[in-house]
Amino acid sequence: CAAVYRNHGYVPSDQSMATLQVGRDTREEVAQAVGRPTSTGILDTGGWYYVESRFRHRGYAAPEEIDREVVAISFTDGGVLRNIERFGLEDGRVVRLSRRTTDGGTQEIGFLRQLFGNVGNLNAADFVD
Amino acid sequence: CERVGMASRDVPLESMSAEQIYRRAELELETRDPEEAARFFGEVERLYPYSAWAQRALVMQAFAYHRDGDFESARGAAQRYLDLYPGGEDAAYAQYLLALSYYDQIDDVGRDQGLTFQALQALREVIEVYPDSEYASQAMLKFDLAFDHLAGKEMEIGRYYLRRQHYAAAINRFRVVVEQFQTTTHTPEALYRLVESYLSLGLVDEARSAGAILGYNYRSTEWYQDAYALLTGRGLTLEPAGDNWLSAIYRQVIRGEWL
Amino acid sequence: QNFQFSDIRIEGNRRVDSASILNAAGVAPGQALSAGALNAAYQNVVNTGLFETVEIVPAGNVLVIRVSEWPTVNQISIEGNRRISDEEIQEVIGSVPRRVYSPAQAEADAAAIAEAYGAGGRLSASVTPRIIRRSDNRVDLVFEIVEGRVTEIERLSFVGNRAYSDRRLRRVLQTRQAGLLRTFIGGDTFVAERIDLDRQLLTDFYNSRGFIDFQIHSVNNEFARDRNAFFVQFNVQEGLQYDFGRITASSSLPGVNAQDFLGVSTIRSGGTYTPRAIEETVARMERLALARGLNFVRATPQVTRDPRNQRLDVNFLLEQGPRIFVERIDIEGNATTLDRVIRQQFNIVEGDPFNPREIAASAERIRALGFFADAAVEARDGTGPGQVIVDVDVEEQPTGSLSFGGSYSTDTGFGLNLGYQERNFLGRGQTLAFNIVTATNSQSSRFTFVEPFFFGRDLAFRFDAFYNTDDFDEADYNTRVVGFSPSITFPISLNGRLGLRYRLSKDTILDVDTGDPDNPLDDGSSPIIQSEEGSLYTSSVGYTYSYDTRRTGLDPNAGILFRFSQDLAGLGGDSEYIKTEALLLGQRQVFGEEITLRATLEGGAINALGDTETRVTDRFFLGSRQLRGFEPLGVGPRDLNATNEDALGGNAYAAARLEAEFPIGLPEEYGISGGVFLDAGSVWSLEDTTGAGGVEVDDSFHLRSSIGVSIFWTTPFGPLRFNFSEPLQAEDYDNTRSFNVTVSTEF
Repeated sequence: CAAVYRNHGYVPSDQSMATLQVGRDTREEVAQAVGRPTSTGILDTGGWYYVESRFRHRGYAAPEEIDREVVAISFTDGGVLRNIERFGLEDGRVVRLSRRTTDGGTQEIGFLRQLFGNVGNLNAADFVD
Repeated sequence: CERVGMASRDVPLESMSAEQIYRRAELELETRDPEEAARFFGEVERLYPYSAWAQRALVMQAFAYHRDGDFESARGAAQRYLDLYPGGEDAAYAQYLLALSYYDQIDDVGRDQGLTFQALQALREVIEVYPDSEYASQAMLKFDLAFDHLAGKEMEIGRYYLRRQHYAAAINRFRVVVEQFQTTTHTPEALYRLVESYLSLGLVDEARSAGAILGYNYRSTEWYQDAYALLTGRGLTLEPAGDNWLSAIYRQVIRGEWL
Repeated sequence: QNFQFSDIRIEGNRRVDSASILNAAGVAPGQALSAGALNAAYQNVVNTGLFETVEIVPAGNVLVIRVSEWPTVNQISIEGNRRISDEEIQEVIGSVPRRVYSPAQAEADAAAIAEAYGAGGRLSASVTPRIIRRSDNRVDLVFEIVEGRVTEIERLSFVGNRAYSDRRLRRVLQTRQAGLLRTFIGGDTFVAERIDLDRQLLTDFYNSRGFIDFQIHSVNNEFARDRNAFFVQFNVQEGLQYDFGRITASSSLPGVNAQDFLGVSTIRSGGTYTPRAIEETVARMERLALARGLNFVRATPQVTRDPRNQRLDVNFLLEQGPRIFVERIDIEGNATTLDRVIRQQFNIVEGDPFNPREIAASAERIRALGFFADAAVEARDGTGPGQVIVDVDVEEQPTGSLSFGGSYSTDTGFGLNLGYQERNFLGRGQTLAFNIVTATNSQSSRFTFVEPFFFGRDLAFRFDAFYNTDDFDEADYNTRVVGFSPSITFPISLNGRLGLRYRLSKDTILDVDTGDPDNPLDDGSSPIIQSEEGSLYTSSVGYTYSYDTRRTGLDPNAGILFRFSQDLAGLGGDSEYIKTEALLLGQRQVFGEEITLRATLEGGAINALGDTETRVTDRFFLGSRQLRGFEPLGVGPRDLNATNEDALGGNAYAAARLEAEFPIGLPEEYGISGGVFLDAGSVWSLEDTTGAGGVEVDDSFHLRSSIGVSIFWTTPFGPLRFNFSEPLQAEDYDNTRSFNVTVSTEF
């Protein structure tokens, strides 16, 4: 059966990347040229990351990430462009996600609560003959 | 015509004194029906607006509605108390009741976060306006819980995206928790999830810096041990995360743990 | 000069306590106070709005603040109102019982009530607030209303209209000219807002007919006091009527081929110019860009005017839209529904480019869940430039029902009826439904579970288990079908979905009436039915392919649904057949999406395999939803020689339905609309056609048709549809029916 492809995220086009100059452009100039990053590093001095990935949805199979492009722009402590790196899908590591979650401290809606919640909205009069 | 408020046993309220109606309302509150109690407290205030009982009845009305689970009217009554008696001795309690009526409506983290914001604002009002009242400490405790609940919401959405391999979206959500919700119980997990997400994108040094923060602040947590294992590829193996697809169906479809 | 007070005394307050007056005034004993500070204190106390009079009197070293409080409102009553109910008026007024009475507020309320009457056309209504003093400085507030007569519009005329007559233009406006039925029609009253709406309606009317320079110079309305009526005149200037000239497309984006986009344009050059056609083509182009995964593409229409031969050339420029990203998707109001159930309706993710059409499509999918009375999806500015936050604000509605009841009747004995149905089980979007009906001779129960996002993917899993005994009052035999059927459904293309299922059931035909032994004339049911008595196992696998463009197609208000399914029975079990069914439905909304036209064509055939024959439980009947105007089992081959003349069903069926649904002018909140329909169809063909007494049963094709009107009414229990039908063509032995009620399900 035919697959449906969906793109997510955004990586700046090559021409706009070409205008960047290592050692000269500050964060504002980079943002002006290629736009704000999809997400950034954890520290204030962390890098800017542009991520674009393409997913294939085919039939009942799980959506599969078939292509990913990561552009990592790092800055010196002075906030000047230090380096531009590109990562592909193959650089990513397959990580098995831990299933443990922090308990949210609140309970989920109980089956009974919802069950009796329904009684209210039904006009029992016309069912009990 | 003058609408005569009737007590449930048809005793005309008009003839009863403010205190009698108040006692009657308190009786209702203890025994049977908080909603009926709220109605009586309302009558006290309507018939004897200037009596000392009227002020007390108004805050008791808010309490009665709150116990009856009618949070909307509880908020209305509490707000009216604060308008009329800003300096009243029960003002702190009224403000606390107002906050409580938002707070008690929050339930599972997957749910509505609009209520959580309102609860936080109302609780902050109690803490800042009545710092030395006996409710301030209670309000602070509930404030932290509501704050923690909000962080739980961000984590829930972060995990949603992480599971669907949308790592950039997941990173942004976990960073919100790390930056704006440091004091909550979710921060260690957020840091660990950042390690998972950065590694999945191949940004190993970002993953290391996240792991370092986790190690520095939360060394004793299981999250740190997992992160250490992930980052060094050695050390303790993760708890058996793999399972056959049948137990996956049971876990996700029946138990609703879809991670 | 300065004052110094050792003590401050508050006098005259009874309800408001002194502490709050003191902290409102903002003065304290022992504090050095200038005259200005005193005045400020006075002003603060007045601003609380609680006091009728406030005096600040320095007496020696004691400051006296003397106040007299406004009375509090004991009760509000409204007299003299017939047209507008008390509740509606309560909502309009600001004064509230048990709060402080303020004359200014009472005046404002009176004005608000008068305005409400004005909106209803009663401009001469008068409202006077009055208070009755009560004990303990309380007052009762009474609004006395004199409603007065309605001022109607005697004449509605136009100046400057050449292309369309006054009568035609009057039909465009919402305001009506007072005619014979003036007392009943509300539209003929003079309401200023409605005149503004009429100006817009008139402009749209002309614009959508090519008059792009149309202008309304002025609308003058004179009020004739003696006749208590209005005369309204629209002065308009039509300008020239334009048609579409050359339609072109150009692209300033690399890799975007303008001609493909031109292909989806629906504009005919030479046709009358309408802004709607341009908007529709822009929508189609942007949806095409969305389907091709192009980001930030915007189609901007450039209209160049060619006045000489009154044509407009339109060029659609495909250009780079602003680079905006979705920063966050925040969901609120979901009290029971889990966040992910709503979030997975979005095809985009946080951080993706912002595309308004995709957001609108997602909002449509969220509403289609059916869990929410309202789902508002709006985008607002994000924290940074070029960032947007999508706010999803849902308002939940009950999605489940629980019914239990007991029934007792002399012949069927005591029965229990327990039904539970929840379409949003535990807020996870799952459907769980079971019902158990037990009466001595007819028991039926059904269990259904659906998980729409199995494993978090767009993969729906459904499991049905059923135990149905039917004793149709139109047939002299009973059937019992017991079985279960798991199935999965998943998308296989942008608009196509495939469903795979397995079904195992034990079908039993029992209690067949074999006639009254001592009455030779009564030989009961047809021998065909009698030969089919007993129970058989049916084990079948099947698939259903459905192609639905109604929501995802290029044209937002038209689309088709094609459904094709086949079931192969014979993997074990006794009965062996191939059952094929197909349905084609076309739907279009016209007249500004007010009227929906729908055409449906469906058919099916079942062919027994090997030497087996089909049984009445496998054969087709036409339900009342497929062919209106006939009883269930009312159509199809029938053994006329058997005393019971029971319907035998057919191995093939076909049905066609032409329908139109339209509003019938009732206000929106009633939720009532109307419809007309024309149905035609038939059931035919049997393997064994030897009926009672060896006479051949006529199983050939006879077309039945019926025409009718229906009333749709959306009730809290679901959308009901009342059908009034009149059969046009029917066999004399068919059972017709002129009225039935169904729940109008959404295909």
